[in-house]
Amino acid sequence: MTIGILGKKLGMTQVFQPDGTLVPVTVVQAGPCTVLQVKVKNTSELPEPHRTATTNLGKKRGKLARPRRADGYYAVQLGFDDQRERNVNAAEKGHAAKAGAPAKRFVREIRAAALPAVKQGDVLNVDVLKDVRHVDVIGITKGRGFTGTIKRWNFHRQPMSHGNSKHHRKVGGLGRTYSINKGVPKGKKMCGHYGVEQVTIQNLEVVKIDAERNLLFLRGAIPGHNDGYVIVKQTLKVQV
Amino acid sequence: MKSEPDRAGCPGGSHEYPNPILKTEDTTMDLMRQLEIEQMKPKLPDFCVGDTVDVHYLIKEGDKERVQLFSGTVIAVRGSGIRRSAVVRRLVAGEGVERVFPLHSPRVQDVVVKARGRVRRAKLYYLRERVGKAVRLRGNFGKQKGPRSARGTRPATSGGKSNPAR
Repeated sequence: MTIGILGKKLGMTQVFQPDGTLVPVTVVQAGPCTVLQVKVKNTSELPEPHRTATTNLGKKRGKLARPRRADGYYAVQLGFDDQRERNVNAAEKGHAAKAGAPAKRFVREIRAAALPAVKQGDVLNVDVLKDVRHVDVIGITKGRGFTGTIKRWNFHRQPMSHGNSKHHRKVGGLGRTYSINKGVPKGKKMCGHYGVEQVTIQNLEVVKIDAERNLLFLRGAIPGHNDGYVIVKQTLKVQV
Repeated sequence: MKSEPDRAGCPGGSHEYPNPILKTEDTTMDLMRQLEIEQMKPKLPDFCVGDTVDVHYLIKEGDKERVQLFSGTVIAVRGSGIRRSAVVRRLVAGEGVERVFPLHSPRVQDVVVKARGRVRRAKLYYLRERVGKAVRLRGNFGKQKGPRSARGTRPATSGGKSNPAR
């Protein structure tokens, strides 16, 4: 299984290494996460009582047992942070109840290559990452609102002088020769809404793990605001 | 370290932080603060902006470590919590040298106050433009009393309370 866990970004600080090196770190509360469901590829891997489903055909015709389809892939569905009771609907509540847990606010799957060793209802803590040196972090970036092309696409500014007037941070040309008969090119980078998008930061070093409080200290910054939810996975990058 | 003089009004010189035992609420911000406090030195040396200090700094020479002294005037203290650092300025062969010391670094072993300076700014960046006698601060150890010896640090009008550290 790809080693991973869900967590919450607590904020940034810095830590001193024993040799005096100063390391900027982001503290992530990683876990405890409940395994809400284990997704399986083949029907034979489903737990015994789940291999068939029943369809109720009515009073006279009784119930029809039919084989239940598997999910078609391997994954572990994790839930992190309890949801407030009044915000939970019956479906969410029932789903979490199968794992013997209260409904969760943040539910995500972590894909696996083979049948995962964990079972529904297991609780994962930060020590699943104890042998991991580097991780990838997936989060939702801070919202920037409606931004211009300079901030959003790293366009250059136009001259502040040399006869330029009131065109300093504007979009500029949209591709005139192309546009003559084809219109503005598809995918042209323009101003618009920026932020609140999923971003993955790869290969962040794990500086420290606090198993007691489920804290993960990662070198550098991760996407999103404090208290934002993130997925932390063992990195895809090959370690040398 | 000497017993603590009352330096509450000292610009930029506060070195107090709350006792971690008093802050145990487990909200996010307090947890972050808690984490910093755990790593911080229990007590910082007592010095202020304007003081002349010796910073005992551990340096590596080959495979040996020894303590090096950096003596100069504290011209700025900034940051809070574990990020607290001090800028120390001295003149070496007529050339100004400034070093920033993260106060909670294990490399900074001690900061010994050689002389107290009474200043009216939190940041003494104006000293960068000065050389020679103009660098002196009021209240410096063993210096002449010249009331205008350093321009910009004129005597306080608030009754001229003498520096308790002297």
